[in-house]
Amino acid sequence: MNVMRPMPAGQVGRSVPRLEAREKVTGRADYVHNLVVPGMLYTKVFRSTVPHGRIVSIDTSAAEAVEGVYRVVTGEDIRKVVPEPYYGPAFHDQPVLALDKVRHVGEPVAVVLAEDPYVAAEAVQLITAEYEELEPVFDEVEAVTSRAVVHEVLKPAGTFPDLKHLVGRRDTNVALDYQLRRGDVDAAFAAADRVFEHEFRTQQTMHTPLEPMVSLAIPGHESLTIHTASQSPSFVRIEIARLLGWPENRVRVVVPHLGGGFGAKLYIKLEALVACLALLVRRPVKLSLTMEEQFYTISKHASTFRIRSSVKDGKITGRRCEVFWNGGAYADIGPRVTQKSGFTAPGPYDIDNVSIDSYALYTNRPPAGALRGFGIPQLVWAYESHTDLIARELEIDPVEFRRNNILREGREQATGTAMKDAAIEAVLEDIVARMDWSKPFDRGTGPLRRGRGIAIGFKASISPTTSVAIVNVYGDGSSSLYLSTVDMGQGSDTAMAQIVGETLGIETENVKVIHPDTDVTPYDMATLGSRSTFHMGNAVKLAAQHARDQLDALARSLGLPPGTNYGPKDLFKKKYGMQAGNIVGVGSYIPDYKSPDPATGLSDNVTPFWMIGGTGVEIEVDTETGHVRILRMVNAVDCGRPLNPKIVETQLSGAALMQLGFTLFENMEYDNGQVTNASFADYKIPGIHDLPARIENDIVEAEQKSGPYGAKGVGESATFGVSPAIANAIHDAVGVRLTEMPLTPEAVFRAIRAQKG
Amino acid sequence: MRGFELVHPASLGEAIKLLDTDDPTVRPFSGGTALMLMMKAGVFQPSRLVDLGGIEPEHAAVEATGDGGLKLGAMATLAQVERSADVMRVAPVIPRAMKRLANVRVRNVARIGGNLAHGDPHMDLPPVLSSLGGEVAVTGPAGERRIAIESLFSGYYETVLSQGELIRQVILPPQRGWASAYMKCTTRSADDWPALGVAVSLKLTDGAVQDSRIMVSAATEKLTRLAAAEAALEGAQPGEAAFARAADAAATEAETIDDARGSAEYKTELLRVYVKRALAEAVRNGAVQ
Amino acid sequence: MDDTSRQIRFTLNGRPVTARVESHLDLVDLLRRFDLFGARESCGQGLCGCCTVLVDGVAVSGCLTLAQLVDGRSVTTVESLDEGGALSPVQQAFIDEGAFQCGFCTPGFVMMTHELLKENPDPDEAAIRDYLAGNLCRCAAYPEIIRAVQTAATRMKTAQAA
Repeated sequence: MNVMRPMPAGQVGRSVPRLEAREKVTGRADYVHNLVVPGMLYTKVFRSTVPHGRIVSIDTSAAEAVEGVYRVVTGEDIRKVVPEPYYGPAFHDQPVLALDKVRHVGEPVAVVLAEDPYVAAEAVQLITAEYEELEPVFDEVEAVTSRAVVHEVLKPAGTFPDLKHLVGRRDTNVALDYQLRRGDVDAAFAAADRVFEHEFRTQQTMHTPLEPMVSLAIPGHESLTIHTASQSPSFVRIEIARLLGWPENRVRVVVPHLGGGFGAKLYIKLEALVACLALLVRRPVKLSLTMEEQFYTISKHASTFRIRSSVKDGKITGRRCEVFWNGGAYADIGPRVTQKSGFTAPGPYDIDNVSIDSYALYTNRPPAGALRGFGIPQLVWAYESHTDLIARELEIDPVEFRRNNILREGREQATGTAMKDAAIEAVLEDIVARMDWSKPFDRGTGPLRRGRGIAIGFKASISPTTSVAIVNVYGDGSSSLYLSTVDMGQGSDTAMAQIVGETLGIETENVKVIHPDTDVTPYDMATLGSRSTFHMGNAVKLAAQHARDQLDALARSLGLPPGTNYGPKDLFKKKYGMQAGNIVGVGSYIPDYKSPDPATGLSDNVTPFWMIGGTGVEIEVDTETGHVRILRMVNAVDCGRPLNPKIVETQLSGAALMQLGFTLFENMEYDNGQVTNASFADYKIPGIHDLPARIENDIVEAEQKSGPYGAKGVGESATFGVSPAIANAIHDAVGVRLTEMPLTPEAVFRAIRAQKG
Repeated sequence: MRGFELVHPASLGEAIKLLDTDDPTVRPFSGGTALMLMMKAGVFQPSRLVDLGGIEPEHAAVEATGDGGLKLGAMATLAQVERSADVMRVAPVIPRAMKRLANVRVRNVARIGGNLAHGDPHMDLPPVLSSLGGEVAVTGPAGERRIAIESLFSGYYETVLSQGELIRQVILPPQRGWASAYMKCTTRSADDWPALGVAVSLKLTDGAVQDSRIMVSAATEKLTRLAAAEAALEGAQPGEAAFARAADAAATEAETIDDARGSAEYKTELLRVYVKRALAEAVRNGAVQ
Repeated sequence: MDDTSRQIRFTLNGRPVTARVESHLDLVDLLRRFDLFGARESCGQGLCGCCTVLVDGVAVSGCLTLAQLVDGRSVTTVESLDEGGALSPVQQAFIDEGAFQCGFCTPGFVMMTHELLKENPDPDEAAIRDYLAGNLCRCAAYPEIIRAVQTAATRMKTAQAA
């Protein structure tokens, strides 16, 4: 029965321009950045200058004396509002403002509140603090055995089902150790033709969303409203309510557009601080970080990966992975990065014997959390560099070696979960074909040498997580979609509207998407890990189906025969005698999941879907200077069926170019725990001149059968292969292997020099 | 940033009077791009800024001199210099360097005088203008003096200008017969500040190098003229062998420094490569007619 | 703190306006007082271009411009481009080519593209890259931005010819 107008052809799979496009090109899109409310106080944060120390005293008197300063607040003041002011998604380890101890340079210690932001900034420079310095630890491998202990006691949060197993321990920097044991690795090593072992490292980097983190809290009568540039409004509400000991419904979290997120704006960032301040002073409080301050707030894990593989008859028979994640001073979501990425540490290869140890470490650096890939780019960097090295040693073509070992559909991956709807081979073959891999390749002349490289990677989704959506059909037949997915530029508003359009048979452009407002929009775990298309997409589809079913029922109840060409508007009019009423469809989705066995790390269902991505590059190395120029970059992914091909393509090149910056030059540099390049003057991100001469993005033919209209997530997939593809190409061009990122010209130059002796 | 006095003199003379103080928190403000950065970062808190935007318009004039040189008023914006037909004719190396100098918005407001007076060793114009034999005319309470641009810098972000002195004009000597090139090297993003800048100017007579100026910046604490490299070229036939000798001399004499863009050792090797390449590029560019 | 504020008059998107402005205020913060948020501070160092505005018809970084110095001058922001209700050809091309994701840098790119096409109606890719090298997009929509500039240039030339 079809009560709709004739369905506009194919809402899904159409490159609908972003619904918010006009607001964005005219500069009129709403960001928290823009928001000003009456009576608002601006906040400036006084930050720790030592990496690890006990707070002896804080002198705020000079700041308080500055004309125009409303109040200066320290950690002890926060206790008046929240007696136990510690927050975090995995551990309740992060104080709203430092208490007793500081654990990294840049940690918030006190704040100045003023009506004029310039006054707050001026006054904060007059605060002084005295610390009894403690021995710091900065390196993730040293942190395992270091005498310096960042947190004396660990306090697991227990919020998320996949992190339920975290336990509290004393006097260790190991926040989580994930172990996987499959088959018998030692036996495989003993029986092998050859065993290869390498160590790879990645550096700490930062997301640098161009809209720096910003939150604004407004106190009400026994309630609180927080406008925040957050990727996880539902989590913010739950966590703030927990801190305050309030029911959820007294905390309202509102999120307009985000000026970029990339994982930086997840869980709690500034929200706990502005919430406490607003309740303390009973006025609206806004905190806008500068670009510099973002570097002290969250980052991407530096890592060390020791990988050892046995090979027999050209097949990888065993692999041992030891991964150390530099989590910085607060766990943030590091434990999840450690575990989820641990699942796939051996790479997309069919290996019978696997041993994985993945460690989340506390150190005295700014915290590390999620950044576009949840640890996967660090892993792929290591295992795909390693794969290439093995192939070279064995004198097998690197593509051929991958083909011999690739994880095929239906085979069990290391965790014991079978590969399903995972087009790993298709991604590899797509890149190979695009690059004419079998054809001769121009290797350059004189000081300019050319090379090419390929790498592929995969990722398990974050599971089990829940999304809820509401589709509201109004009296005139128009409809709105209510959801707490945050469109930070990835195009989720448009894609979700397409799912509604497809399901209800209406134009996508006529669906209004209601941005996250926890008073209005239902629960969503968070916008992270490329989970929205699949999880929220399924919830949206269910909500739209629910609405459609109710419209059908309404038509039947009105006695309309099947096949009648009545639109919703006509149904409402017939039912209510005028333009009135609503149909509200609700959809809720949580996929199945089985926690890994604590002893073996194995589970036959660790993820509802797999993300696959790969990259091939052709590069030119200036052997006199070490400069690497990317002549061509080919990115390919399996994202199931793309809901909006054009937006997917932008996601692919955007992800690959972001990873290009992490690969070639981005690097947080330190001097005794102090980041020395915390600004765009010194922390360089890719600009338009860094764009490869040619960039191609491919979506391979695939379908995620359990996904909404065959789709699955894609925001991170094109990051996976970039770093190792470039390192492999450098090796191909000039015969040197870099094992530490970033692959700077100087590093390449030194390696070439070392090779020449 | 705290409030300060912002004054607007109508003449150069008035500006110099307003700047005639020992107080280092009194500073001239021309394009302001560099000063604003320091103020926003809290590393400079002015008590008084002397806005030079209202002084006589002649100080922003860009013109060719009768003898084949150039006069650039200190208040000329970089964009104005970039677009000047006179500059293109007399010293095409300047507009070529401009394309990759800072960015369009900075070039629209930054002034030639301020760019030099800031003393930042990573700037592109000091090596370029000094390789062209440029001088600055400087005016201060004690009157006017001339300083060769190669001698303008005394250290990292330091110049020989006294408090209260202003660069009034940049003077380039006749360029006829000189071939010039500027090359820079970035080691992080393409639009980073350079790890190394090399500017060269060659005068070729009867197929031999009669005279040369070779300047290095960014890799060294301050703009540095490479006399040994120039000596290695004197009288030589331009070509790979002579350029390699000059490059080796440059690498030996330059005191490169470590920073986030690279180690001193690496920059020395970059210098060796870039001196060679810049000399070859200058020959390819050909002499100004 | 002494009162260093002063009354200034300037033209804002074609209309004369006045404001009482402190000496340390920058142009982005001044524009916020007029509820104009299209120019926005991001890096605060003139490197990202998010705060691009025109002063007397010349593109500048608002975050590096002292507000008092626009006294007597003309300031134009991205909000002027569609004042008549219709998008500019550049804005339309950015939509058609999907040349943005989060949109935070977009007004800056749009403003700079207008300036580029004023100076050079037919830029090749190298000229586009050189001109836009001072604008950063963390979503890295650079390939689409280059296509948008080319599309806008083509359409504007066609419109001119017609």
